[in-house]
Amino acid sequence: MAMINNVRNTVLAIMNKNNYGYLSPQDFNLYAQQAQMDLFEDYFYQYNQYINRENLRQSGTGYADIVKSLEEVIDSFSVQAFLAGGTANTWNLPSDYYLINKIFYYQNLLTSGTTTAANANQLINANLAGQPSPPRFDTGATGFTVFPATGSIVVNTTTLAQSFVNSVANQTTLNLATNIFPALGQGYSIFDANTIVEVERVSQNKLFYLTSSTLTAPSTLFPAYVLDGNTITVYPTSIQTEGTIKTQYIRYPKPPKWTFNSIVAGEPLFNAAAADYQDFELPLSDEPGLVAKICQYAGIEIRESEVYNFGSTEEVQENQIQV
Amino acid sequence: MAYITDYQYYENNGASPLDKNWGSYQYVSLEDIVSNFMLIYNGNNEILNNVERYQVLFHAKRGIQELNYDAMKEIKILQLTVDSQIRFTLPQDYVNYVRISYYRDGVLYPMTENIQTMWSSAYLQDNNAKILFDINGNVLKPENSQVDLSRQGDGMAKLYLGEGPFNNCMGYCIDGCWYFERQIGDRFGLNTETANVNPVFTINKQEGAIYFSSDMSGKSVVLEYVSDGMKNGDNSQINVNKLFEEFIYAYIRYSLLNSKYGVQEYIVNRARKEKSSLLRNAKLRLSNMHPGRLLMNMRGQSKWIK
Repeated sequence: MAMINNVRNTVLAIMNKNNYGYLSPQDFNLYAQQAQMDLFEDYFYQYNQYINRENLRQSGTGYADIVKSLEEVIDSFSVQAFLAGGTANTWNLPSDYYLINKIFYYQNLLTSGTTTAANANQLINANLAGQPSPPRFDTGATGFTVFPATGSIVVNTTTLAQSFVNSVANQTTLNLATNIFPALGQGYSIFDANTIVEVERVSQNKLFYLTSSTLTAPSTLFPAYVLDGNTITVYPTSIQTEGTIKTQYIRYPKPPKWTFNSIVAGEPLFNAAAADYQDFELPLSDEPGLVAKICQYAGIEIRESEVYNFGSTEEVQENQIQV
Repeated sequence: MAYITDYQYYENNGASPLDKNWGSYQYVSLEDIVSNFMLIYNGNNEILNNVERYQVLFHAKRGIQELNYDAMKEIKILQLTVDSQIRFTLPQDYVNYVRISYYRDGVLYPMTENIQTMWSSAYLQDNNAKILFDINGNVLKPENSQVDLSRQGDGMAKLYLGEGPFNNCMGYCIDGCWYFERQIGDRFGLNTETANVNPVFTINKQEGAIYFSSDMSGKSVVLEYVSDGMKNGDNSQINVNKLFEEFIYAYIRYSLLNSKYGVQEYIVNRARKEKSSLLRNAKLRLSNMHPGRLLMNMRGQSKWIK
């Protein structure tokens, strides 16, 4: 069910009480984006507020665990992605991030190379034939150790896609969980899945104290980074290998877009199958909040104070219930 | 550290070095300590929140250093031959010595520290005792002071502990023969502080060397010392005995609470008491007092003391 269509219909119904309120799809999309962003940001403030209440024993568990439900909504915007390397030890952040939650460093590189053939869900490197293990893959049939171990992380260093080792097919081929090598000639790195360390965010004014201290100087076991614009600089400076730095971040919600394909009886007909269609990404429970927000914007547009006041009152009432 | 298989423990999965994991189960790594602390003691619903990892790392290392100084008793031993200036350069991770012995014919002879000076710097002087300077105004220094030269040669007086009337007198040992100045007056008992027939040493902490008396020339020295457990800055090698694990968490918790603004004093005190009692517990555990050992000690209870 398209939430965006319900919201639009509700907004139009509220505005059209005197048959002169109309909101064009273009304007609706603009207001919808504003409303969604507003509610999205509110989640973080509410999260903080409820944690404080939890510590004051004013929040319960089970169905009364509000923090848990807020976390679920925020986590629905969570994304993991490898960072593309910049110059030296700098890395470029994704363009759609709202909040960088964690930066990971894959410190234990087991082996790397280039694929020589492409097959679905497989990594093939024929050049490994005849070499000792490692770097040659080992099924474990002749020795004690399977190499690389099942669950090891495989990164396509060309596309920065990630997968896992399901099993070792033979000395030159690995079976992967997903298809990340669609073409031959792509670089790969295989990392130990058990030795991933978090890169710690350090504020700029602490950086030089940190790096000059013998006790806290960043190391590959305890790396650190500082943020400069849309790039991060990772310490120690030896961390430069492509495909070793990954981030888990909260992205911005995608701009909602109510799409239509024809106008029937003077009304655009909703089309959810359009290529650029985008529903709201917030949960269904936020529908009243979105309606109230959009009504405020639309009320200003059509100079109808009652619509604006209705939206404001609804929002205030909803907030009071939550408190 | 994750649990490992028997093959990994005994044979290191066939990799080198073979003995990498031997005895590893006694220890918990610095990485584990920091991870566990961040996971369990730092969070939205814990006493500590918004603690940076580098703060935890700092206090964890400081705690391990403190343990190494006085509780761990993990002594490192290094054997070296003294150099031409009859000195022994302190090892890189040296913090304090436990015992210094010289090694001869399979036997260790413990040495005592000479409380008198055995080394000195010096300035060049003319025959009127005026200090000499170079053109930049810096004082000129000789390579060795007279004290150093005396120690390196046989010119420094030493205590003689042997047969005859000169027992417990200061004398000069030259090529194995003792020479004494004329004795005037009476002797009033042994100076027990310096009464040891073995060679003596002095530590020059600033210079990072141990100086020995001249009879140690060319001899082999065994230094038993304590370090701070920082393993030359290699974080992956730093670990602590599991008997001290809970203490380390308590130490970090106390240090963070103690330096955090706005924490109630009773919480800080609680953390301090917990830290102190856990250190006592850990020391008791590590002292290895068990019935078998006590029994062996008590077997000598009826021995006659002559």
